[in-house]
Amino acid sequence: MTADENELLSALVDGELRGRELDKAMALLGKDPSAKDRLQRYQISRDAFHGYGTKQQARATQQISAAILLEARHKPTNLNAVEKTNVISLPIRFWQQTLSLAIAASIGALVVVGVMTQPTTQLVPIMPMAVLESTQGSEPPGTILVASKAAALTLSLGNRWTVEEQEIEDRLNIYLVDHNEYAGVSDIFSNARVVAYESGQ
Amino acid sequence: MSMDQELVQRVQAGDKRAFDVLIMKYQQRIVHVITGFVHDPIEAQDVAQEAFIKAYRAIPNFRGDSAFYTWLYRIAINTSKNYLTARARRPPASDVDAADATNTFDAPELKEFETPESNLMRGELEQTIHDAIGELQEDTAMAIKLREFEGMSYEEISEAMDCPIGTVRSRIFRAREAIDQRIQQVMTEGEEQ
Repeated sequence: MTADENELLSALVDGELRGRELDKAMALLGKDPSAKDRLQRYQISRDAFHGYGTKQQARATQQISAAILLEARHKPTNLNAVEKTNVISLPIRFWQQTLSLAIAASIGALVVVGVMTQPTTQLVPIMPMAVLESTQGSEPPGTILVASKAAALTLSLGNRWTVEEQEIEDRLNIYLVDHNEYAGVSDIFSNARVVAYESGQ
Repeated sequence: MSMDQELVQRVQAGDKRAFDVLIMKYQQRIVHVITGFVHDPIEAQDVAQEAFIKAYRAIPNFRGDSAFYTWLYRIAINTSKNYLTARARRPPASDVDAADATNTFDAPELKEFETPESNLMRGELEQTIHDAIGELQEDTAMAIKLREFEGMSYEEISEAMDCPIGTVRSRIFRAREAIDQRIQQVMTEGEEQ
């Protein structure tokens, strides 16, 4: 080893190398086994300044290094695997979250569509045409007028969301409970449950 | 970015040699800290090894929010406590502060656990270093003293001594070579005895 190389190792012990010089020192440690011994000796002399540093500890350093290398051999892809995980995990999580949100949105849409398509005719209070016509008085009967009257009656009695019919509530709750199984698919909603219309369900 | 951070990034990129450098740099400090917990130098070596292996496994998740040594120190403390708990021995009530633990003389909690042999060895090493520095040229001795006793960086030393950083680096290297030779002598003599 040259004096320059030894000087480089001395600076490495002092933590004064950056970038290319650090590359150079690491390459030196990789190709020349005596460089590692030299580095260790410099480290011992440096540690001795601070009150610790014995030969036994120097030997222990070698043992620990060997144990680490052994550990690395047993799990050769350990760091690489984690590194890959760090790189890839974000997109995976992103897609998982997207999928979860899509499923949640689908469930929500299903609930809305289900409620809308189920007993629409029952939700809107039906009044026989004859009754409607009888309420019109002198006005001539007409479809548009009948529809507007029906809508007005519906508003006065309540709409499909506020109507207080036990059967409708029951059916909605049954629907929600029956569709609860969609909730456990993803990570995000793994512990979530779709809340029923009534707190008792 | 500090050199430790660069080394950590290299380890995270799969460079195992970089972790070797980190082990070399901190192993003796860590063993010293652990000795304060387990009180047995041999056990301390085993616990230190376990702590370094844990650190190696966990380093991909190290984000650099704290200094590497602080992070490593915390792993060492936890490993020591787990070791004592597993052996139904009570861990110390208080931790040694990470900053104090970097210097034996400022950490009485650690000092009280030193063995007579380690004290003797340390005393011998101190004397060896003192003698080696006494034989150095004035500028060289000043550079190594500012580095090791005052903890100055090369840049700070270059300003203090009004010379280029390259000169500082050379002086410290020469001083370290001289000290290393003296330490090697002491160690060889100790081995022969």
